[in-house]
Amino acid sequence: MDGTEPLTIPGNWNFSYRYFAGDTATRFFSELRDNSRIMGTRNPVSGNVMVPARTFSDADYVETTEWVEVSNEGKLEAFSIVGTKFPGLPDPPFVLGYVTLDGADTAILNHVTGVDLSDIEVAAQELLKQPRVKAVFKDQREGRITDFCFEVLHDGAEK
Amino acid sequence: MTDRIAIAGVGQTVYRRRHSDKNSAELVREAATAALEDANIGLDGIDLIVGGVAPDALAGIHNIDLLSISRPGIPYFRINTGGATGSSALLAGMTWIASGRAKAVLVVAAERMGHATTAQSIFNSIFDPIYEKDISMSTISMVALRATMLMQKYGFTSDHWAGLAARNSAVAMLNDTVDNPRFFTKDQVRSSAVLAWPIHLLEACPTSEGACAVVLMSDPNVGDRKAAWIHGTGALSDTYAMGDRFHRPEGSLVNLVTLERSAAKAYSEAGVTDPLNDLDMVEIQAPFASSEVMAYLGLGLCDGNDAVAFTERAIDGTAGIAIQPSGGPQACNPVSATALIRITEAALQIQGKAGRRQLDGIRRTISTGQGGATQFSTAVILGNERP
Repeated sequence: MDGTEPLTIPGNWNFSYRYFAGDTATRFFSELRDNSRIMGTRNPVSGNVMVPARTFSDADYVETTEWVEVSNEGKLEAFSIVGTKFPGLPDPPFVLGYVTLDGADTAILNHVTGVDLSDIEVAAQELLKQPRVKAVFKDQREGRITDFCFEVLHDGAEK
Repeated sequence: MTDRIAIAGVGQTVYRRRHSDKNSAELVREAATAALEDANIGLDGIDLIVGGVAPDALAGIHNIDLLSISRPGIPYFRINTGGATGSSALLAGMTWIASGRAKAVLVVAAERMGHATTAQSIFNSIFDPIYEKDISMSTISMVALRATMLMQKYGFTSDHWAGLAARNSAVAMLNDTVDNPRFFTKDQVRSSAVLAWPIHLLEACPTSEGACAVVLMSDPNVGDRKAAWIHGTGALSDTYAMGDRFHRPEGSLVNLVTLERSAAKAYSEAGVTDPLNDLDMVEIQAPFASSEVMAYLGLGLCDGNDAVAFTERAIDGTAGIAIQPSGGPQACNPVSATALIRITEAALQIQGKAGRRQLDGIRRTISTGQGGATQFSTAVILGNERP
């Protein structure tokens, strides 16, 4: 071209949606909101308890048949400490991780609190030990996954 | 495979953060035209076009392939398996040749993420809106979760991630398809900002745009073209749910069962029994160092006991196999195209057309594709000889 700056046409996607959660997730979230309980569903063929609750097991396409309450405590399987601000995501630093609650055969994702993030490297070394964690519920619950988060238990209980 | 199929031509644009001087169709035309020229065939000789585009929201144009890839008078369909889109598109194109419906297929994968001003918040929208999206996942934290598991399970350290990133950045300096490649040392990686621990800024692949095209042909039509022959392929899907993959007997979240099984099928078709000896080169669809390490395991280049030592040899360039001679996706990762680029890079090496990054004696290669939260894997083995 003749040195003219390439033209940019502005654009913006700003659509709103309502996601239909389905009956199983509806019950899972109702239990969180109304009873502060974390519930799973059992696959009658494998016996596995899936948390969060699912209508069917993705691995074998088998419908789950039974609701099971699992413990509020479990093990932090994997984590990350987000250290940089990304547009549309919360202010850093924050921790997210997958936790296997006692009585569950799958892991559930949530935010993890109760660890000093003033030095991310130090915090990471602590979390690499896969500490025990406990679900802590908000006072004001609305039936969302953010109604609770995990808090690291420090009382000598690693693995 | 019963029918022999070859890559008869490849074409690529340069990959850069923004191609602000080209609209999407112009970008695609550059790669497609180059591939057709390389294969010495016209569009009138093409029986099918397969388009590869991953999430539309990165481009901000719904079905961007309809305006940029499909051509009048030629059958067309689109493939989307996230980061594996490009290789999945190639495999889909092969089925038309294998079934006798096509003699020549043009596969085009295009990434237009330079349009997006907030790529990471768009990537957050790929997660399950019911149970996971509210936990502020991004593609980077998704990878970081697995990197921490590798550290727990095998004893990797942040030094390994930084070392691989630095090694790939050095190799990419020779890759003329990467515009303005970034060179950095291991220490620079480690002292760059923490994006999502253990991932630092310089380990993360940069925003990358561009298009890659491949012409596939059935055996009799290849003639005397210097082709790269497809010796074996495999592709497999896994569950979307990462949380379901922690405790299953066939392997945890860091054991890429889909890649392992895809590679096993490709090895069996190609007669590969010892990948380290039977293959000369590997191009892995790994946007992060930890993804590359998981693929070493999945491809059988090392086992769990040897994973750290093998990775250290890979960093030193003494692994006994050429790894990421292009610099890999850590140098540039145009998501929709990146898995097709891995195959294209292997084809270029086999044909002796890789320019400054050309290696000696590359006769058999494997290229991987990984998409979703490692939900989709592909493996493609190329060779210089008719199988």
